[in-house]
Amino acid sequence: MRDGQSFDDFYRSTTRRMMRYGYAVVGDYDEAQDLVQEAYARAWRQWGRLSAHPAPEAWLRLVVSRLATDRWRRLRGLRGALRLAGPPPSVSPPSEDSVLLVQALRQVPATHRRALALHYLFDMPVEEIADEIGVPVGTVKSWLSRGRARLAALLPDLAVVELEATDVA
Amino acid sequence: MSRELSELYRSLAADADARDVGLPDVLRHRADRRARFRAAGGTLAVGLVVVGVVIGAQVVTPPSASVPAPAGAPTPSTSPSPSPTGGSPSPSVPPTTPGRSPGTTSPGATGTQPARTPTSIPDRAFFALAPTNQVGIAPEFRDEAVLPNLCGADIGGEAVVHRRTRLLIYKLPQTPKGYVPDGSYTHSITIYRAGRADDVLKELRQAVRDCPVQKMPGDDTLGESRQRLIPDSGFGDESVLFEMRSAGQDVNGDPTGADVVRLVRAIRVGDVVTILWEQGWEGTSSQRAQVDADGRRAVAAIRRWLG
Repeated sequence: MRDGQSFDDFYRSTTRRMMRYGYAVVGDYDEAQDLVQEAYARAWRQWGRLSAHPAPEAWLRLVVSRLATDRWRRLRGLRGALRLAGPPPSVSPPSEDSVLLVQALRQVPATHRRALALHYLFDMPVEEIADEIGVPVGTVKSWLSRGRARLAALLPDLAVVELEATDVA
Repeated sequence: MSRELSELYRSLAADADARDVGLPDVLRHRADRRARFRAAGGTLAVGLVVVGVVIGAQVVTPPSASVPAPAGAPTPSTSPSPSPTGGSPSPSVPPTTPGRSPGTTSPGATGTQPARTPTSIPDRAFFALAPTNQVGIAPEFRDEAVLPNLCGADIGGEAVVHRRTRLLIYKLPQTPKGYVPDGSYTHSITIYRAGRADDVLKELRQAVRDCPVQKMPGDDTLGESRQRLIPDSGFGDESVLFEMRSAGQDVNGDPTGADVVRLVRAIRVGDVVTILWEQGWEGTSSQRAQVDADGRRAVAAIRRWLG
């Protein structure tokens, strides 16, 4: 039996972080919103089991990541299928920094984007990132290092070197 | 001005926070409604397939008093077209020599001209979905693989003159507009060198026979796919239909206990081969009745194009 109240509580406590993650991984506001909604819809369908999951938020991130790396048609289909509540409410335009970062992230491989998002948005150490993604620690370090190098090349005034000295051995 | 990456991510987070993803109860109701429609659609589709098979069997079974078809007679075309009159560039000649595409068919009756292989593929060669199947997403032409991997078989690659491929998303008629689609196709049209298209279908049949089981591409956890040919007739000059069957998995990668079936049909019309590779949507299985209907529409569009 699924408990709607516990799902709603979970939803309210995690959607903000999930939207940040989706935006950083997908690189598009609208697609991120669609993917996050789809991930929560799937979570609700399996809430009977998922509510007992030791890390339901990590499960959600996994779903968002899989959807984000799926084929273009799924993303477009979701956009058409899930936007049922009329036009989205107007929001302030994104900040210049955000736009620059998102544009640069689109030129970074998906695996690197995912590792960077977990590190910078969730403050996760490389061991936890490796555990969540299911790859060796060395691979995560490599992804973070290469992702930053790529972003540094794309964002010339980025102060990457000082920042990364301690968090990636 | 120098900035730090963490600062940029903070900006991104602030922007994301400004976006409302809706209320949880609305999302729950929507997800439940979608699941109900999907379940109802699946049941209805199975029912339609059963009814279709029963009716089809009655239609196909010849009455006892009928005259048997002569041995070696060509498969009847759904829309018997006359031989091309003088000047017609169409390669869609009814096969006077069964099993051979027109490039190798000697001109039949006096006054006919050898069919000419087309060299380009216009948009109109691609069929339009029936209105009840449309989801409001325009097909997109992409350079995609036209067939699934079949144990690494290389099928007809060197004989290709021209090819166009598109991705096409559809819904089943009973699914309301605005709901999640029910399936998608990789749909290709390929012009082959004169006389090679039938060889391509032979190669495809053989490739399916030679590849009864293979590992699914990608992740090791995805298991195996089992391939088999399905008897097929009534599509174009000839056709090859096969299924790929694998164990279904949910989004966690856990087995669902049900098989996922993909249907792939290659249809030859003269020197042209069109392939409809049904790829489902979120683990849905191909529905034979829908694939058949779209196959017929695909053939009709190609025949209209070829004249």
